[in-house]
Amino acid sequence: MRHNEMVYVTPLPVRIWHWLNAFGIVTLCVTGLQIRFPDYVNVFGAYKAAIRLHNTAGTVVSISYTLWIGYYLVVARSLIKLYVPTLEDLKTGIFRQAYFYFLTYFLGKPNPHHSTPDSKFNPMQKAAYLVIMLILLPLVIVSGILLMYVAPLRELFLLLGGIKMLVGSHFLLACCFTAFLFVHIYLATLGHTPLAHFKPMWNGWEEEVIEDDTGDGAGDAHSDPKPERKDMV
Amino acid sequence: MRMLKKVFWFFVAIVVIATHSGVSYAEMPSAPNDGCMKCHGQPDIAAVARNKSSYIDPVKYSGTTHSIIGCTACHDRVSPGHPRDGYLPPKAVCGDCHGPVNEEYSKSVHGAKARCNDCHNPHEVRLPIFMSGDEINGKCAKCHDSRKTIQSHSKWLPQAELHIDSLLCISCHTSSKEYVISLSIESRTPGSGTAFKMATFAELAVLSNGANISKIIDQNGDNQISLAELRAFNHHLRSRNMRLWGMMTPEVVTHNYQIMVNRWDCSFCHASGSKAMQKSFIVLPGKNGDYTRIPVEKGAILDILYGTPDFYMMGSTRSTALNIIGALIVAAGLSFPVCHGFFRFLTRKNRKEDHHEA
Ligand code: HEC
Ligand code: HEC
Ligand code: HEC
Ligand code: HEC
Ligand code: HEC
Ligand code: HEC
Ligand code: HEM
Repeated sequence: MRHNEMVYVTPLPVRIWHWLNAFGIVTLCVTGLQIRFPDYVNVFGAYKAAIRLHNTAGTVVSISYTLWIGYYLVVARSLIKLYVPTLEDLKTGIFRQAYFYFLTYFLGKPNPHHSTPDSKFNPMQKAAYLVIMLILLPLVIVSGILLMYVAPLRELFLLLGGIKMLVGSHFLLACCFTAFLFVHIYLATLGHTPLAHFKPMWNGWEEEVIEDDTGDGAGDAHSDPKPERKDMV
Repeated sequence: MRMLKKVFWFFVAIVVIATHSGVSYAEMPSAPNDGCMKCHGQPDIAAVARNKSSYIDPVKYSGTTHSIIGCTACHDRVSPGHPRDGYLPPKAVCGDCHGPVNEEYSKSVHGAKARCNDCHNPHEVRLPIFMSGDEINGKCAKCHDSRKTIQSHSKWLPQAELHIDSLLCISCHTSSKEYVISLSIESRTPGSGTAFKMATFAELAVLSNGANISKIIDQNGDNQISLAELRAFNHHLRSRNMRLWGMMTPEVVTHNYQIMVNRWDCSFCHASGSKAMQKSFIVLPGKNGDYTRIPVEKGAILDILYGTPDFYMMGSTRSTALNIIGALIVAAGLSFPVCHGFFRFLTRKNRKEDHHEA
């Protein structure tokens, strides 16, 4: 016995941020590719056009990142709760989740994690998003901003070990984002339907499959003030 | 008696001057400049001459090709009474000997804006490979204020200041070609926070403890800088308020001044590929204010980090090693969906009953 429940997990500001950010980062990856390999890649015509677009997209991503972190820290105050893995997550959660992705998923077992507004990410997601959002993205933003002002910031470059150090880090970080994108988009299709995770990123509502007899993990959903919406798409 | 003395000294003077100039003219074929430099090589000549630039720096002059042809090749018919007779010797026109350059330059858009002598002091000429990039750009800066140039170029050129600092004006305004990377040593007073300037010969001589200054970088003295030597040198510089400043400079200079249309398109330089970045030189100041260069091992510019930590040209100086690491990272990311997706496809039946919602 089981039924479906709708849970409101992704507030509007987060959704707007996410798609702005996603669009920005994809633009950055493609323009970045042309900027590094202009003799092989020419997507945007002139080199200058690629650079201008890259700088603009970088600025958009930087601003949207500031808004994102501001929203989670100041308005929603849920950054730590949602994104920092608990000790329990690190000790067992991550392994349980990995075990699911690499084995029990193929056997048709259900996902051990259930999204609720308070615990929207599984332990692996938490760890990955934490690294991406609080370490890699700030680093890539800072290195990118510095690279937009090479001549005026030359002193800083000397302190940081030279322009090559900075360019090299920026490039490797960008490669990490590209790698993350593949994994991220793919994992997002692993819901109970391929689009199940994309819908909440669009309209905020996550569809949860609840095993009535166990009730496990659904407790929070019942205390959710929002009404259940069964047939919402 | 007094009168006799005066006459005597007059004769002595005449004899001295006559033999003086006689000697100098007679010597001309072997030492064509010595006679003239006795006066023109003394800084105090500026005090008596009508033209304040009558002093010719003997050190700089002796290093030029022009010193081989000698003063009188360009100033023929120096009057025997020179300089007291007041006749100023004639001056050659550059075009007499540099016909092709003259023709090319006169036809260019700049032909009417500046004369040869505005950019060249005929007594200090040097080939571009014996000059620093700063010095060459300094010629233009006499009339084109650098700050204004940066301003006007930033309207269309991203990072205009960086470009103007690392390129020669003539690289974009003439069809000069065969680009190499010239790395010159710059220094500044410790803790001053002021701009870096070209290190002088004296400064570097201190570093080399009196040995040939090329020793501070070319440690094994083979007149070729290996990547290891370059790295060690960079390391050495960091702690001494010095840096290696790279500029892209042409080896073959032309005078067809114009707005080169294809320089609008950044890919002229940035898509030139790493092959164009193979040749580089260390530019060392010489004792006489000239510069010499020592070739650097091929491809040092493309070294991942420490070959030239401060010189990076987007698109052209990317390091292959870094590209491979980057590609591996991306491939690792891509392999997850591919492998997982493969097993997902094979085991799709196991999850069939979950798909009760369409
Ligand atoms: C005895 C010292 C002396 C010697 C030797 C001498 N000059 Fe001069 N020269 C002068 C002085 C002084 C002037 C400045 C004359 C004036 O301003 O009236 C001058 C002026 C000149 C000028 C003209 C600069 C101008 O203002 O246009 C030229 C050219 C010149 N000398 C070339 C030569 C050459 C070439 C030789 C060797 C063949 C030579 N001089 C030898 C003392 C000398
Ligand atoms: C390659 C040709 C050339 C040679 C060689 C040369 N000069 Fe000149 N010199 C010139 C020209 C051209 C000028 C005029 C520069 C100008 O108008 O700015 C000049 C100018 C001068 C002047 C006037 C100062 C000035 O800058 O206008 C003096 C003095 C002079 N030369 C002396 C000498 C002496 C002495 C020698 C040899 C030691 C010498 N020159 C060798 C071409 C030459
Ligand atoms: C009497 C002939 C003659 C005159 C006049 C002359 N030059 Fe030269 N110049 C030469 C020769 C010879 C060379 C060396 C070979 C070459 O580069 O063509 C040379 C070389 C040069 C060089 C390259 C430097 C080097 O070391 O090779 C420059 C720059 C130069 N001349 C500029 C000028 C300028 C500017 C004038 C006019 C003020 C001028 N020359 C007048 C004969 C002349
Ligand atoms: C607007 C500035 C400018 C003017 C005007 C100018 N030159 Fe030059 N010239 C340069 C620069 C920059 C170089 C490269 C650095 C160097 O060798 O001085 C150069 C180099 C040269 C060279 C050496 C080229 C080589 O590599 O063989 C010669 C010769 C020369 N110029 C002659 C002339 C003559 C002759 C005139 C006048 C018709 C003239 N220049 C006018 C800027 C100028
Ligand atoms: C003696 C002064 C003088 C020197 C030295 C000089 N220029 Fe010029 N240049 C001018 C003048 C005057 C103009 C015309 C006014 C303007 O556009 O600023 C000009 C114009 C130009 C232009 C614009 C031409 C056009 O058609 O719009 C370029 C490009 C240029 N110079 C490049 C150079 C370079 C590169 C050098 C150094 C190798 C140089 N100039 C050295 C005086 C000089
Ligand atoms: C990257 C290539 C590049 C370099 C380096 C460069 N220029 Fe230019 N410059 C151009 C182009 C392209 C234009 C035409 C811009 C336009 O018409 O708006 C131009 C225009 C000019 C003009 C005429 C218009 C104006 O802005 O006044 C002058 C003068 C000039 N440059 C001087 C210089 C001088 C001096 C330097 C060296 C300090 C220099 N340029 C370096 C590419 C370059
Ligand atoms: C590199 C750029 C991206 C970053 C840094 C990123 C980051 C994130 C983060 C932090 C979340 C959780 C959002 C929340 O707070 O609720 C998330 C969710 C999601 N993202 Fe992205 N994202 C990126 C690009 C993309 C792209 C390009 C797509 C699809 C085309 C995508 C699809 C999704 C989906 C479907 C979810 C919800 C599924 C889940 O919870 O994992 N993302 N992303």
